[in-house]
Amino acid sequence: MNRLDRFLAGLLWLLGVALVAVAVHLIAVFDLPRRLGNDPMSRLSVLAKPGEMSQLPLARPGAEWAPFSDPAVAQGVCLYDLTRAPVRVSGEVDADRMLTLSFRTPSGEIFYSMTDRAAQHGKIDVLLLTSEQLEALEADSEDDDEPAQELRLIAPAAKGFVLVNALAAFPSEAEESRQRVKAITCAPEAPLD
Amino acid sequence: MILIGKFILAALVGALIGLGLTSAALQNDFGFGAVTAGPWTAWPRNGGRGVDPYARAMLAKSGEIPLGSSEGLSFIARADSGGRRLEPGCDYIVSGPTPQARYWTLTVMTPQGKLLANPSGRSGFTSSEILRAADGSFAIALSRRARPGNWIPLAENDPFILDLRLYESEFSTSMLAFDAANLPTIAREVCR
Repeated sequence: MNRLDRFLAGLLWLLGVALVAVAVHLIAVFDLPRRLGNDPMSRLSVLAKPGEMSQLPLARPGAEWAPFSDPAVAQGVCLYDLTRAPVRVSGEVDADRMLTLSFRTPSGEIFYSMTDRAAQHGKIDVLLLTSEQLEALEADSEDDDEPAQELRLIAPAAKGFVLVNALAAFPSEAEESRQRVKAITCAPEAPLD
Repeated sequence: MILIGKFILAALVGALIGLGLTSAALQNDFGFGAVTAGPWTAWPRNGGRGVDPYARAMLAKSGEIPLGSSEGLSFIARADSGGRRLEPGCDYIVSGPTPQARYWTLTVMTPQGKLLANPSGRSGFTSSEILRAADGSFAIALSRRARPGNWIPLAENDPFILDLRLYESEFSTSMLAFDAANLPTIAREVCR
């Protein structure tokens, strides 16, 4: 072997090592979320009942359910399952008090978010459904002249959760902000035929 | 035999480098969606669809629940405006114009995002409760010693970071750059 051959052979080995490194890196990055097994949905299912709005504990030192939580925010969660029927998230909101909602997949990824400013006549009314359920619903109501009053939101997966945040602008409003979370209900609709 | 050994060695070295790369990428707040402005870093893309795999892995590792893009945006500061790491032994003044948001909150946390316990029970402020100057500007003191005005106590030895949340911010998620002039500055004062 002359020097060029040795150089090329070494280069080939280096290339091989780099390829393995890149492959391992990519697999690790993509596989990590599943492997860690602490996705928000499974953490929340310990704290909340499925199919209804549950209050989450206020973020206090040593007692946060998730890191980077805002201690000024009261939170509620609704674990939904659309397998059998759509789920309606609704409730009255106070125009001056900030309340936000985020609609998420089990991994916590957000597919829709809104605030109380999106409320119509002081009311939030969201119907969460799968695309099949939306088709069935629209076929059902084709004759109706009245447009739908609610916001119809297609969920990318049958399961997921809705997180409600109510800000307590002052520490004395903590209890009141919990009440505002409670005012939002989340319940399965009657199953569609 | 030597050839097989070489193959195994190459695979092992490659795997180690790959895992090292992954660990480094997830440790240094790396991510395609990170946006910095002065000392602050935000991940606006985490608030909607289309989170990149690195950000997804990072969120899974930390367990953080990001805000939705319509809800607001969270900014993290691990260093002061001079670029020096935040130290519990120093005093800091967070000041500036009012950020463009309906509400904002500033919270002191551990680098892992946990709240710090302290006797006063205060770990942050909301925009409604701070005392302001006549022109609407504000200053919040971070110190281990009690300060008049807006004061967030620091723990004796625990390292900390700052989390600034802008709720219903005018910073939209489509923005890929933020003007640091619109965000508060973090000035280091005396260190003890």
